[in-house]
Amino acid sequence: MKEFPETLYDAYRQSFDCDEVYFEYKTDHQHLVVFHNPKFGRVMALDGVIQTTEKDEFVYHEMLTHVPILAHGRVKRVLIIGGGDGGILREVARHKAVERIVMVEIDAAVVETCKKVLPGHSAGAFDDPRLDLVIDDGAAFIANTKEQFDVIIVDSTDPIGPGEVLFEQDFYRHCQAHLTAGGVLVTQNGVAFMQLDEARNTATRFGWVFKDWHFYASAVPTYIGGAMLMSFGTDDATLRRQSVDVISARFKAANLDTRYYTPEIHVGAFALPRYVLQAIGKEIGA
Amino acid sequence: MNNEQLDVIAARGDVRLFDRGVDYAALAAQHGSPLLVLDCNVLRQQFRALSAALPNVTLHYAIKALPEVTAIATLAEEGAHFDIASQGEIELLRAAGVGPRQTIHTHPIKRPRDIVAALRAGVTTFVADNANELEKLARFRDRVAVLLRVSFRSPDARCDLSKKFGCMPEDVHALLAHAETLGVQVKGLCFHVGSQSASPDAHVQAIAACTALIRGNNATRDNKLYVLDIGGGFPVDYDGTTQGIEAFCTPIREALAQMPDSVTVFAEPGRFLAAPAMTCITSVIGKADRGGKIWYFLDDGVYNSFSGQIFDHTVYPLTTLRQSDVPPTARHGGDKPRLSVLAGPTCDSIDIIAEDIMLPELAIGDLIVAPMMGAYTSASATEFNGFAKTTILALHAPLRASNVLRFG
Repeated sequence: MKEFPETLYDAYRQSFDCDEVYFEYKTDHQHLVVFHNPKFGRVMALDGVIQTTEKDEFVYHEMLTHVPILAHGRVKRVLIIGGGDGGILREVARHKAVERIVMVEIDAAVVETCKKVLPGHSAGAFDDPRLDLVIDDGAAFIANTKEQFDVIIVDSTDPIGPGEVLFEQDFYRHCQAHLTAGGVLVTQNGVAFMQLDEARNTATRFGWVFKDWHFYASAVPTYIGGAMLMSFGTDDATLRRQSVDVISARFKAANLDTRYYTPEIHVGAFALPRYVLQAIGKEIGA
Repeated sequence: MNNEQLDVIAARGDVRLFDRGVDYAALAAQHGSPLLVLDCNVLRQQFRALSAALPNVTLHYAIKALPEVTAIATLAEEGAHFDIASQGEIELLRAAGVGPRQTIHTHPIKRPRDIVAALRAGVTTFVADNANELEKLARFRDRVAVLLRVSFRSPDARCDLSKKFGCMPEDVHALLAHAETLGVQVKGLCFHVGSQSASPDAHVQAIAACTALIRGNNATRDNKLYVLDIGGGFPVDYDGTTQGIEAFCTPIREALAQMPDSVTVFAEPGRFLAAPAMTCITSVIGKADRGGKIWYFLDDGVYNSFSGQIFDHTVYPLTTLRQSDVPPTARHGGDKPRLSVLAGPTCDSIDIIAEDIMLPELAIGDLIVAPMMGAYTSASATEFNGFAKTTILALHAPLRASNVLRFG
């Protein structure tokens, strides 16, 4: 039997039994493998690090999508950076009020592979007429585009690898400049307990760019080590302080069928453990 | 150059089929000359011999000795782990299909992009020997663990590997404290006494010193040391004077028995695994009689496969294989050895493999066969003067060698 030991940390690891390897390839940018695990279904790893699995992907994709869109409330234009597996795209496409979706993915091979071996992630959303799919470096795209967006979702790898530029100050600054008034940027920031430096760095950089910023948490089983943090940056400080009733009304209007996301989780997810608040310099409440 | 030794070995050169049944004349005829013949079965034998001599020690093949995909794949199949030091070596592991959990990065000095490249390949264990390097690793502290390299000089090793790298044993505690402040996990110590050690004394002394350092640390600190990497230095027999690996390792085993049970031991053999596995075949392409010596010009030399004579300070055993010796029954047993020089093909006068040695007279097209040429030969070969690096031909190669990364 084959095993896939994740190579994220030296002293602690999760390992997956592989009963089938579907795809293994070194793309122009990274090393990509998709295999099957009895517990998690199909699993995709890039550079030895688990990116997504069929069974638990809904947690991440629902939270990184619906929180900014429903917090905003009037989203028409969405930019997705990264997210080559199509999971974020699928969730964005469920919002009928969204009129335009631009997705910028650096690695065409990830998109093509995931369409074939993880078809449930995109669930046909790559054929959505509202989508404009761009194969490009997300940092270069945002620096040059003339468009403005209501929500920008960054679904990147960890900062070690091609995703590195998506964690830099300049990138966040360009994102902020391409948000409409009251627009929201969300990014993934790793598992708080295991990778607290990522949250520290993003906190510092968001602090320079956004009038209001915070993190919200959700637990994705295969991102081992506890809850992962998603960063939330905007110029409208009211967005993350709305009541469950307001979010509920939008959730009902959007008519979404979710498995993790609820309006209560949305509001509660912004409550962070004290060690995280200390790390991001917000020890005394938000 | 030990002339007496060469004569003895050269006298064996009158047998066509020799050295484990490999027909070098036929290989040279088929694949051309010069040629390096890698026998993967010898790699397997060497790995098994060292595993038997050092039970419970995880052997990390130092691929710098022979950075060749087939050799790596062969040893991976035997269960070897790997020691790499550069991005190029990472690429070789990928090409050989080696899983990154089996790999440690042992270069004490790295650029941040080297660390990133290793992490992206899945390597999470790194070596450091100074505060600056710990600070470089701090950016990656959530993912990495460090082996702290300690210097123990070995005066009797052929290549002293503790001159350039390694902290002084008395600096270990300060570096451990610095790492703790930075939040970088140090999981163990490593040392490298040198290559081709004449005796195991340096290993034994270094192990004893590290045992004391580890016990001292583990008794007083929360961050335990649980790995000791004893490096390489395991000798091979180039000239008939080197003790066998079992005898060499006996005192090392005894020293390791004093380690706390919680400590996992690594070793980084390179030369020991690779050296006996490859044989160089080179042809006489020119001949001149000068001042009573016969100069033979060969198609391989010190800028190429014999580069180890310069960089590795190694003199390889040589044997002659004459066309006139074939078949063995027709050999010219009576010709007198003559004072000879073996020179490489480049225009540089330094390109001389052997001077003033006694050889039976050779003709253009005759072969010189040099066994024990697996380690630090092809690895340090150049393409000076436009002579291509000598082709490596692998015998008994594993079937799974491929250019797609595998895991598990």
